[in-house]
Amino acid sequence: MQVAKKPNTLPDGHPDFSVQPSVVLKQPTLHDITEVISRPIETKATLKWYIAFAFSVALLMVELVGWGISFYYGTGMWGNNVPVAWAFPIVNFVFWIGIGHAGTLISAILFLFRQKWRNGIARFAEAMTIFAVMCAGLFPLFHTGRPFLPLYLMPYPNKHAVWVNFLSPLVWDVFAVSTYFTVSLFFWYTGLIPDFATLRDRTLGKDMVSKIRKTIYSVLSLGWRFSNRHWRHYERVYLILAGLSTPLVLSVHTIVSFDFAVSGLPGWHTTIFPPYFVAGAIFSGFAMVVTMLVFIRYIFDMQHLIPIDTLEKMNKIILLTGTLVGYAYGMEFFIAWYSGNLIEQFTFINRAFGPYAFAYWVMISCNVISPQMFWFRKLRRSVPIMFVISIFVNIGMWFERYVITVTSLARDFLPSSWGWYNPTLVDFMLLLGSFGMFFTLTLLFVKFMPVVSIAEVKSVMDGAQVHHHHEEDPVDTEATIIGGQPA
Amino acid sequence: MSAQEQKLYALTGLFEKPEEILHAADTARKRYRKFDAHTPYPLHGLDDAMGLGESGMGWLTLIIGTTCMLLMLSFIAWVSLVDYPNVWAGKPYFSLPGYIPILFEVLVLTGAVGTVLILFLIVSGFPRNNHPLHDTAYMQRTSDDMFGLCIEAADERFEEVSAREMLENLGAKTIIPVYYDVKEARSGLSLANPLFLGFAVVVAITVSGAGYFGLNRMVFMPPFNWMSVQPRAVAQETKMVFKDQRSMQQPVDYTIPRGYLPETFGKDQADEMGKYLVNPLPQSQEIFELGKEKYESRCSVCHGYYAQGDGRLPADVGLNGLSLHSPKVAEQWTDGRIYHVMTYGQNLMPGYAKQLTRDERWAVIHYIRALQRSLNPKESDMQ
Amino acid sequence: MDLQQKNKPLYWQSLEELNSNPEVLEAKNHEFKKGVTEDFDIREMSGISRRRFLAAMGASAAFTLTACKNYMDKGEIIPYNVQPDDVIVGRPNFYASTVTSRGQAVSALIKTREGRPIKIMGNPDHPIDQGKMRPHVQSLIMSLYDPERVAAPLKGSAGVTWEVVDEAVGSALRSLSQNNKKAAIVTSRLMSPSAKKILDKLSQKYTGLGVFNYSLTQLSPRLSAWKKSYGVAQLPEINWTKADVVLALESDFLGAEGTEAMSLGFSKRRDVMNDKGFSRLYVAEGNLSLTGMNADYRLRLRPDAQYELVLALANALQEQGLALSAALVPQAENHTLSRFASSHGLAESSLKHLVNDLYKNRGKALLYAGDRLPESVHVLVNTLNADLGADALYQRQNAPFYQAQPSAPAELAQLSKDMLAGQYDLVIHWNVNPAYDLAALAYADALAKVPVSVTLDTHLNETGEKSTFVLPIHHDLESWGDFEAYAGVHNLQQPVIAPLHDSRQAEGILLTWLADDSAQYSEKLYHNYLKNNWQDTVYRKTNSLSDFTTFWQGALHDGFVSLKGTKINYGSLNVNALSQVKRPKLEKDYLLSLHYGYATLDGEFANSGWLQEIPHPVSKVVWDNYAAMSVTTAKELGVKTESMVTVTLPGGSGTVTLPVLEQPGMADKVIAVELGYGRSKAGEIGTGVGVDVNALIDLNSDSPFIAKVDVVKAAGSHHLVTTQLHHAFDVPREQDLHTARGITHEANYPEYEKNPESAKMHGHKTFNITSTHVYEGIKWGMAIDMNKCTGCNACVMACNVENNVPIVGPDQVDRGREMHWIRLDRYYSGSAEEPTVTQQMMLCQHCDNAPCEVVCPVNATNHSPDGLNQMAYNRCVGTRYCSNNCPYKVRRFNFFDYRDRFKEAFYHKDMNQLVHNPEVTVRSRGVMEKCTFCIQRIMWARQEAIREKRDLKGSDVVTACQEICPSEAIVFGDSNDPQSSVSQYRKHVTAYHVLEEFNARPAITYVTKLRNTYEKV
Repeated sequence: MQVAKKPNTLPDGHPDFSVQPSVVLKQPTLHDITEVISRPIETKATLKWYIAFAFSVALLMVELVGWGISFYYGTGMWGNNVPVAWAFPIVNFVFWIGIGHAGTLISAILFLFRQKWRNGIARFAEAMTIFAVMCAGLFPLFHTGRPFLPLYLMPYPNKHAVWVNFLSPLVWDVFAVSTYFTVSLFFWYTGLIPDFATLRDRTLGKDMVSKIRKTIYSVLSLGWRFSNRHWRHYERVYLILAGLSTPLVLSVHTIVSFDFAVSGLPGWHTTIFPPYFVAGAIFSGFAMVVTMLVFIRYIFDMQHLIPIDTLEKMNKIILLTGTLVGYAYGMEFFIAWYSGNLIEQFTFINRAFGPYAFAYWVMISCNVISPQMFWFRKLRRSVPIMFVISIFVNIGMWFERYVITVTSLARDFLPSSWGWYNPTLVDFMLLLGSFGMFFTLTLLFVKFMPVVSIAEVKSVMDGAQVHHHHEEDPVDTEATIIGGQPA
Repeated sequence: MSAQEQKLYALTGLFEKPEEILHAADTARKRYRKFDAHTPYPLHGLDDAMGLGESGMGWLTLIIGTTCMLLMLSFIAWVSLVDYPNVWAGKPYFSLPGYIPILFEVLVLTGAVGTVLILFLIVSGFPRNNHPLHDTAYMQRTSDDMFGLCIEAADERFEEVSAREMLENLGAKTIIPVYYDVKEARSGLSLANPLFLGFAVVVAITVSGAGYFGLNRMVFMPPFNWMSVQPRAVAQETKMVFKDQRSMQQPVDYTIPRGYLPETFGKDQADEMGKYLVNPLPQSQEIFELGKEKYESRCSVCHGYYAQGDGRLPADVGLNGLSLHSPKVAEQWTDGRIYHVMTYGQNLMPGYAKQLTRDERWAVIHYIRALQRSLNPKESDMQ
Repeated sequence: MDLQQKNKPLYWQSLEELNSNPEVLEAKNHEFKKGVTEDFDIREMSGISRRRFLAAMGASAAFTLTACKNYMDKGEIIPYNVQPDDVIVGRPNFYASTVTSRGQAVSALIKTREGRPIKIMGNPDHPIDQGKMRPHVQSLIMSLYDPERVAAPLKGSAGVTWEVVDEAVGSALRSLSQNNKKAAIVTSRLMSPSAKKILDKLSQKYTGLGVFNYSLTQLSPRLSAWKKSYGVAQLPEINWTKADVVLALESDFLGAEGTEAMSLGFSKRRDVMNDKGFSRLYVAEGNLSLTGMNADYRLRLRPDAQYELVLALANALQEQGLALSAALVPQAENHTLSRFASSHGLAESSLKHLVNDLYKNRGKALLYAGDRLPESVHVLVNTLNADLGADALYQRQNAPFYQAQPSAPAELAQLSKDMLAGQYDLVIHWNVNPAYDLAALAYADALAKVPVSVTLDTHLNETGEKSTFVLPIHHDLESWGDFEAYAGVHNLQQPVIAPLHDSRQAEGILLTWLADDSAQYSEKLYHNYLKNNWQDTVYRKTNSLSDFTTFWQGALHDGFVSLKGTKINYGSLNVNALSQVKRPKLEKDYLLSLHYGYATLDGEFANSGWLQEIPHPVSKVVWDNYAAMSVTTAKELGVKTESMVTVTLPGGSGTVTLPVLEQPGMADKVIAVELGYGRSKAGEIGTGVGVDVNALIDLNSDSPFIAKVDVVKAAGSHHLVTTQLHHAFDVPREQDLHTARGITHEANYPEYEKNPESAKMHGHKTFNITSTHVYEGIKWGMAIDMNKCTGCNACVMACNVENNVPIVGPDQVDRGREMHWIRLDRYYSGSAEEPTVTQQMMLCQHCDNAPCEVVCPVNATNHSPDGLNQMAYNRCVGTRYCSNNCPYKVRRFNFFDYRDRFKEAFYHKDMNQLVHNPEVTVRSRGVMEKCTFCIQRIMWARQEAIREKRDLKGSDVVTACQEICPSEAIVFGDSNDPQSSVSQYRKHVTAYHVLEEFNARPAITYVTKLRNTYEKV
């Protein structure tokens, strides 16, 4: 694959791959790939990036202030009460955890299914997973009334001589979420190592700055040498991680759904929750990935790396999962009616027509109706449309959790203890702030790390993998060598 | 620099096409043992071209994962059956279904983390940034767009000339000899390094400083609250709101709490007490036992276990009580009279009203009577 | 170098050596060979550097370890320097004493720890109160430790010595006669014989000194009516246990107008456990009162139509064949029942039932007129009662006793008129607050005209503010005293703690003034006077054999002396009384009905945060009063709940604007408002809570509390904070959920009598998938009798005091964060006009399969071997999952450190902290809490049992709520012991669990609510 004829190029001499709608583009040299992916890291950030970054950091500050207030004065600063003891923070937690799932799904499950188109976005999606889980993790941590005692949730030998309750879904959560975070992190970092090595070798270490860069990359790359004796184990481990992450990602949201499903509260106590939550998670996750990709594409002019095909494929998955979720909503009602349990029935009718009906209908229209647009190829492939819809889906999925959490609690068994939930300013600060944290981390990532896996892209290029037929060992080795021309 | 000063590490050749490196590796395999191929991405087929077998990492994961999972299970079992059995919602002490999520997560976590760590730290021997191949033109190309074959000088069949010739024959675009980098080779981690020591000290001071502040100051500031300092009054502490600044107040004079009716007769009414008061308690087994217990804890110190005035105090203390078998006590004194002494005291003996409740005092009197009786029993007692 | 090499051949010193050693290179560069990491081997480090390294590490470790020590100051230990005979450190003492409100004296048992009172409980031995106590007097423990108490004599706002005051008062008294001016001592209802004696002596000594005693809660014309009807100003006690049929006319005798004895007596006839049979309660009232909620038949009736009602009943009874007394006949004629029913929109059927019941149960039936009704109605009721033979229910023994006739409104009006005219030189207020109470008389202005005015009180109130001097007097718990609130039952009051401030015994002050010698006062002064007075009154009457000292000590010990044989005797009914009273005329337009506040009574208790936060038994509103009106009336006025109305007395004498609450079950055109709010000088807590409506008390009319008024919509709105959402009568799917969901269960009493099974709740079979946990030994359980429970909130208060339940303030209650461990749930069914009300006491059910336990991640809540659902506060991190998973929502969460937050940490002041029960943890922020079944009492009982070498019995433990409950609706004990009354209840046919099908297996059993009506449920 010598570069016979160059494809039409960008002003700076680099090929403009976006003209060819294919994940991995026709005709680029390996070097081109390296160039394209490393360029944003090595060049100065654009003004667009700085604006976006400033905005996100501002939001992040809002979150920090929010956490400070809640930590110092207590959870009373939120709208939570009895009966609605869980509200915004838990909603946000489930929302963010859900977002995270897309990343693992793309990087692991699609990897196992050998979906080549994933390579363009896998790295980015994994990063999103990690950031989303970080955003999510803060909420349960600070959600407790005494946030300075998170250790109590760990089974460690203590002077109370008491252990955790291994039957509590919250303890399952602790295990699930920490596992999910750690494994995703390892998965992500494992993928990054060869790319860091590439960056390391591209940095010549002439002046001070690039010396520092080189040091950092050397440390991060652990000294990777592209040795095939490493590659062969590396590839296997990567496969194993993908294999482990797949059931993991399913288990995590299943366990998160147990937080609700295991309790006895009408509207929570539902066996459909695990699949329903997982579908929802993938749904929201993909929506978020689309939102971010469209955004990033715009900020970094990466149309050539993240072609429209990829987005279209994701929109198809959004359509699928959205419909699944819609089915789950319907099924909940059916079961409530079929169970003949008065309290259950009341809960669901109350959801749709009670005081919190607005939330319910926002959820329905955003999650079930809006994705249906994706039946049409034109809309699937239109960037503005998918951007809007993906935003809708994010909103809808947030409201789904709101509906499940708040409306069920506000109208539970005893009418005497029915309550009403009003979020406070701090609640909103934390909700918006978490987005700030997410954007900030994402922007830092796209600026300082290879957004696309260099090695992976190279490995799936046309002609990157050749069929090798094992030659018989000739009788006279010497002869072959001296004979010069190999067979 | 010349070969005298430098020691050759390996001879490397760079190729442009994957086919070439496959062929090259295949060829090299037949001559050398210590050689390696470097490719910008995992190149399928290179493994058997180099004659490397299946990677066994999968088994590792399985072993680590399952082991840790079983360990976790046994830990949970120990906690919930042995160390701290608890009833939650009337569930059995050990209910496996509830543990499955945790077990699964532990399996995944340990499996994944273990494998990755072993891969990089042990199998690949990372972190390692002083390898001769680092910062060579060879490495720079292999990390980017070329495929490299590297034949190490350490191989016993290595000869620079033949190796170079072979690489040329295989069609290597460039052939680069790689030497040991002297500086790198030397750089071991020396603890004598003042930089490191300085760093260690700084870390030590920061850690202990933070630890001190955190554990002794911060955790006792708001919002931290351990409910150890309770906003309430308990016994034997200061309470500034009271005039005497004590949490324990004296009851008001002349008031009478339930169960504390004053004695009918005062300190000076010994005879009336002896005259009018009779022992209200029956002579039952429990009463005698109560009396015995109280007598031996309170009275026997001076009066002796058998009330013979042989207390356990050394004689020179001069507190040895009188024998209670004296005819005065044994015959003349009524229970009420003894009660008066026990209540208000007599001579050296203090009153025991604070130490013994009324019933206890009466019980002790029964016991004393029993002791007296035991010294000169009547015929009737013999049966 | 060679030498060195000999010494340590292991180490390479130079590059040459290194290079000449290929193995090392091998090792360094070939990771597939063993010993890769040799270059990190400690043995290869140069010795000196290792030592330095270890030193550094050691140092840092040492630093870190020192940091792990905890330097918190634990304070010092201060023992008694003189150990009192009757105090054992760590053991509580119980003093029998008496606590009073302005209208009541309740015999109490005061729990102290090391000389500090920590709880006021009822005195179970007392013949009348029987250890029962309504919320108000319980809250006195908090007012004792109120940091805002007057600490020293005040002149205006400046401090002043007692001598100065004594001199000022003395001279004023002395000079009365020569410049013939008048002086007045205004006090609350006189219940103390000794005090009465002192007052008499004073008024004898100083001519022109008049004594007035009143309290808004005692303004009832009942007494004068009795005087008219029977010739003596003595009320009998009603024997409620004998009454089969009771018609309460605008009377809240189970609530704000009643006493402990009434609730107790009434509830004895609501007991499924005895065979006395249920009484039937008819209530005719305009407002929906607590009594109305407990009625079997409720008649919505304007208060001013009560007279007609009684006449109509008389008429109908006459038709039945009852012989009416002569004076009644002419009045009753052509007041036919049907006409009355139709004109007031009442169901004639229930009126017919009423008439039949009254007639059938002659001698066991009773009409009971409310305190606030005019004299005429009382006289009429007395007459009809006499005809019905109701005097068989009048109990002449231990009847309510008045040391002196309460001053009539007219007298009070006269007093303030004379004060205004400047006829008074000196006015002394003792434990009254006329400046607030008598706003209608403009008493405050009149007071300004008095040269020397003195206020004796524990707290600075509106009157004190306007007086020349404010004298701090001892709190009930600091003072001596005696009370005879019921004829022949003499309560004693003894101090349980030395005065906290420079206050004096009120009676002692009076005695000094009587002696006119400032030096005479001492703490002993009144104590001795009291003793002597008892020696020649009570002691003489008892003609007991023991000497006085013994008698006195015994009396103090018991807290009371009950003299048998003291009967009040009144002659036969004077039938002409009826003609003497003027018959009230029936208004057609808006009618104002003023009620005593359930929380504040007449405002005396407005400053108790505990009481303010206890939900109103009917509307569940906290921290506020409001104008309650029926939905129809609200529509008529064009107002809704929380919009404002202006209420004006016709004369324009009083105008008040307050928020509206649409109260189901109220008679139309009736505006019901509670007194006791809007205090302008009550203290940090009570000042400015609610609206002051005392200006609407028309003291010149014959019914001060019920008057015709003009009502108009006013601008603005005011948010009313409730602990329960307003019931939505217009949402069909939310109707009657409490019965549909198996929360409450109701049955018909006559049916039940015929066939008990009919009252059984039809539950489904529930089962566990796992083996159920078996509890050996004691298993604690509780039974709550919904027939006896009246909803008086006494249990809530007792629980608050016992368990250090914090006060959170209206804003937090509004957020839904009230902390009460006991909730009294109120459910409406039926229409907004004629609702049926069901009440249910709801607290932690201590379920065997407690859903809260299994979800707690940190194991902070789990099940104890004796069946308690226990909380480990300090293990709780506050995930609040337990609360979510609790089907009864009885768990309470400390969203803040409430003591620290409420009113700028008012309840965190050192003084306030003394009120906390030292046997119960004060919970911090972020901790979940709930009913513990008074675990501290259980542990105490267990400890005692161990000390006494016996087994713990279920009956050893009495929970705070059970002990105080005025209707004995709560039973606690060992449900494993088949003999215990709890297991009797659990076995009973009417027993059921709330949400039985949830299969949480609660430890609390409820008794089916039996309605004693002719119509089936």
